[in-house]
Amino acid sequence: MIEVHELSKRYRANQAVDGLSFTVQPGQVTAFIGPNGAGKSTTFRILLGLDRPNSGHALIDNKPYCELERPVLRVGALLDANAAHPGRSARNHLLCIAQAAEIDSKRVTAVLELTGLGEAGNRRVGGYSLGMRQRLGIAAALLGDPAVLLLDEPVNGLDPEGVRWIRRLLRQLADEGRTVFVSSHLMSELQLVADHLIVIGRGRLIADTPLSEFTAGGRSLEDAYLELTADATQYRTERTN
Amino acid sequence: MLRSEWTKLRSIRSTPLTLTAAFAVAVLGGLFSATGRAKDYPSWSAVDKAAFDPVNLSFDGLAFAQLAFGVIGVLAISSEYTTGQIRTTFAVTPRRRQVLLGKACVLGAVALVCGELLSLVSFVVAQLGLRSIHVDVSLSDHAALRAVAGAGVYLTALTLLGLGLGALIRHTAGAVSAIFGLVFVVPLVAANLKDWITWPSNWNLWTAGNALISTRPPVDGAPSPSMGLVICVLYALVPLALAMVLIDRRDA
Repeated sequence: MIEVHELSKRYRANQAVDGLSFTVQPGQVTAFIGPNGAGKSTTFRILLGLDRPNSGHALIDNKPYCELERPVLRVGALLDANAAHPGRSARNHLLCIAQAAEIDSKRVTAVLELTGLGEAGNRRVGGYSLGMRQRLGIAAALLGDPAVLLLDEPVNGLDPEGVRWIRRLLRQLADEGRTVFVSSHLMSELQLVADHLIVIGRGRLIADTPLSEFTAGGRSLEDAYLELTADATQYRTERTN
Repeated sequence: MLRSEWTKLRSIRSTPLTLTAAFAVAVLGGLFSATGRAKDYPSWSAVDKAAFDPVNLSFDGLAFAQLAFGVIGVLAISSEYTTGQIRTTFAVTPRRRQVLLGKACVLGAVALVCGELLSLVSFVVAQLGLRSIHVDVSLSDHAALRAVAGAGVYLTALTLLGLGLGALIRHTAGAVSAIFGLVFVVPLVAANLKDWITWPSNWNLWTAGNALISTRPPVDGAPSPSMGLVICVLYALVPLALAMVLIDRRDA
């Protein structure tokens, strides 16, 4: 279970997260959505102990991430597709993680096969397409077979086969009783896979609700989302219609 | 942790490439100095001949090879910050000091082995070049042995200095510039200031390294070999210690 309580984080003049509270339950896919700059990635970074909050706390299984024993076995994370050294092969990238986390190196081959990188595993990550780097990030998240998954925009850059694959993967992981917390901007995709929604804007919570309630009355998730976040969108394009 | 850091170091192409370049530059540099000196030597005055240090000469190529060692130290951590790898690293090992300590152990060991090997090869090759004028020294000369060992220690200190600066500055270009400044610019400035203040020229990294690799007694208040060792160790450990303190406080 993930528990965020009164979380605030300021980067110089920018209040990225502002008194944010929510919980994420196991056994379902929880979508984390909000406009660009809403504070989703910041929340992920704080959850993983990479950034320190100014106030509040973010707990996983009742503990701050930094206090978890062997965190890779409890929490798998995809932060962004570029969190790998481009000069290293995918296999060596995963091997470094496995060795630091004391995971059997057989798992490296297993997650490479699982994410469809089996044949490309010995190639350098710098030569990968965005979709392949996403697959590598997902492979790294699954390496420790964790009960909690934090995936920041995992669908970006994936080909249609990959999109369908990750949709099924998320469903399967949730059905196995894991906590699956996914951010994305692809509303049509989330409508197919999410059970629960956490919507934020300007660092604050806007909605925390089951998908079925959010889209009640036959509205699409996209319509409901745009209506709800209209006031919280900071970076907006001109209306073209 | 150590195994993971070792895998990281060896799985990047720049590590063996940089080390190979360092070997080539160091050994050839020493050899060219030796053959050049062997040609001029007969025409030197007796005073010059007496002051000639055939051991120190073996390490003439080190002036450039040392940069390669510093760069390997810098890259071991700065490349993680510039590529985003650091977020993976710190998520896997939230106790960040362990990461830095692991890197220091692995880098220190690799640099010591490669540095000692490099200084030994440079020494042997350069002494072959000096054979024609019969001033070549063998390793059984205890000062020569100390100088060869000292050159390897100096390169190790530079590698750890690179790691410390890389961890503090977190940008490759910035940290490499800092190394460059400490190794090349500071000694130059210090030498110009010598008439007014002497401590910068006696306490800079290059003077310390020179003290380690010389077999002639120090002149002009330059540090002794053991003082040189102390200075090198300080240069290696102070930035690293500072990085240890800061690494937990900063956002990744």
